[in-house]
Amino acid sequence: MAATSKAYKSQTVESGFSLRSLTHLLGSQEFILLMSILALSLVVYSDNPRFGTERNLLNILSNASYIAVGAIGMSMVIITGNIDVSVGSLIGVLATIAGQLAVHDYPIWMAWTAPILAAMVVEGFIGFLVAYLRIPAIVVTLGMMSILKGGLILATGGAWIYDIPQEFFLAQRQPYGIPMPIYFMVTLVILAALWMHYSPTGRAIYAVGGNAEAARLSGISEKRTLMTVFILHGFMIGVAGLLFATQFTTIQSTVPPGLELMIITAAVVGGVSILGGSGTVIGAMLGAILIRVIQSGMIFLNVSAYWLQAVQGILILLTVLADILRRRRQAASIGK
Amino acid sequence: MSTREAQREPSEWSLTLREFFLGQEGVLVVFLVIAVVVLAFTSQNFLTSKNLLNQARLMTEVGLLALPMTYIIITGGIDLSVGSIFGFSAVMLGWLWQEQGFPLEVAIVASIVIGTLAGLFNALFIVYVRVPPIIMTLATLALYRGLAYGVSQARSARGYPEWFFRFGQEDTFGIPTQIWFFIVASIITWIVLARTPFGRGLYAIGNNVTGARFSGIPVDRYLLVIYTFSGFMAGLAGFLFTSRVSTTRADSGTGMELDVIAAVVLGGTSIMGGRGTIPGTILGLVLIQLLKNGLSLSGVKGDATIVVIGSVLILSILINNFLQRRFAQA
Amino acid sequence: MKKLLVSLILLAMLVAPLAAVLPAKAQDDLPTNPLACPWEEEEAAEAEEGEEAEATEEPMEYNGGQPVNPPDLKGKPIRVLDLPKLIGIAYFAATTKGLNEAAEELGNVTIITDAPTEANVDDQITFIENYVTQGIDVIAFASNDPVAISPALRRALQAGVHVIGFDADSEPDAREWFVNQATFNGMAKALIDSMVEEVGEDANVAIVTSSLTAPNQNRWISEMLAYAEKCYPNLNFLETVPSEEDQQLAFQRAQELVNKYGEELDGIFAMSSVAGPGVADALTQMGVCDQTISVGISTPNQMRPFIKNGCAPKVVLWNPIDLGYATTYVIRAVVDGELVPGDTEVEAGRLGTLPVINGSEILLGPPTVFTVDNIDDFDF
Repeated sequence: MAATSKAYKSQTVESGFSLRSLTHLLGSQEFILLMSILALSLVVYSDNPRFGTERNLLNILSNASYIAVGAIGMSMVIITGNIDVSVGSLIGVLATIAGQLAVHDYPIWMAWTAPILAAMVVEGFIGFLVAYLRIPAIVVTLGMMSILKGGLILATGGAWIYDIPQEFFLAQRQPYGIPMPIYFMVTLVILAALWMHYSPTGRAIYAVGGNAEAARLSGISEKRTLMTVFILHGFMIGVAGLLFATQFTTIQSTVPPGLELMIITAAVVGGVSILGGSGTVIGAMLGAILIRVIQSGMIFLNVSAYWLQAVQGILILLTVLADILRRRRQAASIGK
Repeated sequence: MSTREAQREPSEWSLTLREFFLGQEGVLVVFLVIAVVVLAFTSQNFLTSKNLLNQARLMTEVGLLALPMTYIIITGGIDLSVGSIFGFSAVMLGWLWQEQGFPLEVAIVASIVIGTLAGLFNALFIVYVRVPPIIMTLATLALYRGLAYGVSQARSARGYPEWFFRFGQEDTFGIPTQIWFFIVASIITWIVLARTPFGRGLYAIGNNVTGARFSGIPVDRYLLVIYTFSGFMAGLAGFLFTSRVSTTRADSGTGMELDVIAAVVLGGTSIMGGRGTIPGTILGLVLIQLLKNGLSLSGVKGDATIVVIGSVLILSILINNFLQRRFAQA
Repeated sequence: MKKLLVSLILLAMLVAPLAAVLPAKAQDDLPTNPLACPWEEEEAAEAEEGEEAEATEEPMEYNGGQPVNPPDLKGKPIRVLDLPKLIGIAYFAATTKGLNEAAEELGNVTIITDAPTEANVDDQITFIENYVTQGIDVIAFASNDPVAISPALRRALQAGVHVIGFDADSEPDAREWFVNQATFNGMAKALIDSMVEEVGEDANVAIVTSSLTAPNQNRWISEMLAYAEKCYPNLNFLETVPSEEDQQLAFQRAQELVNKYGEELDGIFAMSSVAGPGVADALTQMGVCDQTISVGISTPNQMRPFIKNGCAPKVVLWNPIDLGYATTYVIRAVVDGELVPGDTEVEAGRLGTLPVINGSEILLGPPTVFTVDNIDDFDF
């Protein structure tokens, strides 16, 4: 982990970025994202007013939810200077666990909580390898990705799960006309944001990512903080897996392709610095929403299907650039 | 402990026997020997020159990408867009030749140039706008893949003339042609990394970028070179791949970046920067390929094989860490 | 703020020219051959039979490849590699089941199923090379790319391995025979006719395909457009969107299409076994099945709830178990020397006699249309 702080320190010197200015920066990153989301929505809306219908907006938010919940945990992990590329495979495994329990007549609450517990165990194990045995997170999670992906097929033989009892489908419910995943997203983001801002452990995450050496000196246990982060991340991935699994009437036993990249992109677009030590979970949520708005908006704007990915790439690049330029300007103004 | 390593001076990079066996290369050699012996006993087809050469053919593209990736990770960076550049330049090769009517020779050169430019585009933003490499290449991962789809309209270009397959499907001097590309590239990148000021500069950047700047290393220029080089190699690999499979697809190379990174990291290059060697990367690459092949020949299925490879990745780094802690401190 | 505005304008400018591009249709460039329209069928039946008779009089010459000095395994036990596009999806689990069913009946065939976890042709090539080295007797493949897989298959033939395709073909000379589940124009006709029966011929429809590079899907779409143009010129194709092999993305795409076109959208074609349930699920959960329905290609078990609730009233598919079953019988016949170039039919156990078409393809039969009336007869 010392190497993380080294990389961070170098960045500090280059951009004049400091922990003191952190709180100052928080608002603006989210502001930029919010503005991008609104502006893009307006452009699409003016071209095709149907984009603005309540149902479409709720669909977008609902589809962003499990990405956003996954990105909460991911941003914590990234803030500590680590990364987790195994989340996509893990979510695939969790969906299968939940579905198998549900079709084999276990109580529904068990089918809902088991994937969350399983995710916490897996991520706890990853956290142990990272924090105590000091294996870089990318190595552990790259390995874990293969193990989970292969293990899933080994265990299921690739069979899909259907005929699941109706009450299992948590994410399909719509209390007060709003899809369930949105409640989860908003509640968890608020809780996580408060926790990271006010609890000592929450603040320790920034300290560990920002400067592990200093964190150690000020009495923060780096190892214990890392374990906490990974287990919490496991909880969030568990919930994301639950939302994913209960969305569809059939559950595939394959791993959702490219899901890990989507979650990491949401966190990164949300202004979480991959070098550790900065960013917020609200930004990560907005990042997830922005990705979905882009995806959906492109369809409404009649962008040729062949160019969808390229346009998405350009828009993500622009958002990131806007964020970086803004950070640098602010860093410069603080420098004065 | 990791601090101690990180601070190791680049000039200490001559390998002593002790360091070799305590380092990742040593762990890998032991793993490799065990794997080869076990696999040779379980399948009589494994240890034949025909099989090994064939495996080397299949390994070439990932290998060509792993060489520049080693450089990049040594500096503490990463390039996630290599798989997309690979696919994009391959698609451009087919598109320029079939849709635009350029001579095939011109299309080949142009596609490699396009790969290089794609790498340069990454490099310019990383160096001059200071976009962190992982963010920049995450965005261009989507962008280049999208361009591949958009330009080709998802149509594949096929029907190449016979001479084109010489690079990917035939032999030259007794071994598959593309392996010569890999051998030459490996030797050059190895010498450059281990024996030149440029190579030492890369380690210095990875250890402490500010320190490197102060000690007069042209950090910006070095970074510019390695990310551009990465694009060049992706273009080259894309060309060899097209010749091997005789068609271009907008989705070829999807997810390849993770294979490349796995090989480099397994080879002992520290993802935090400052540590790593080309022989290590090649060992990592060979170990993964031989495991895939040998297990398959011994009747182990693909899904179980990727479980084994994932475990080996974690275990080998774990053992290396353990050895380092146990003996290197003495 | 100014910079923000500038970047937004830049953004809009980047989007504008691309937005002007016409929606993609995801066709391929091959010539199409639409079948007769339903109302022409009766009158055309004779004529067509005549045509078919002509066709059988002058069958296309055998255009497959042959293995070089294959070992004589007549009547001996053989090991067959079952190499589907990917493992982990219900469709290929069903073809594998069929392969094994026939293998059990025959008693002297061992099926080894092994394939990548993602539909990736490069991984498939690696599997082929490894199994040829290992010394497999037969390779039965469903290719992810017809051209890219061919060099590896030709090397397998060179090594004396029998090569048979099913579901998705390679270049003809890279395999001996291809077991064709249904002709492309036959599928296209079944899909379009099913859709028109549900929504009428003055309707707006959209297509959710799998990947834009998927050869089978592109072929079907081309044939569908040609057939619709010939028989239902008023059937309006709005656009084609990709969903990869991703249920979530198909779900999202269907939502977007419904939100975008509202009541104007009458039907969605779901062009893969993964897109099928994704699209139908979206329509069900949005509660719009009285306006918009889906007709798709998928397997009965996962589509049963949607066939019954009316959101996907018609699902078109051949029986993938039969496809696997026929493949095993073809393999045995080839190895035993009972199916040789020039033959016009082959025995396939409980399926009876299957015809040879297009030189080196064995045709399974016409596709099945699953509806609420027959869905409970199928379990796969």
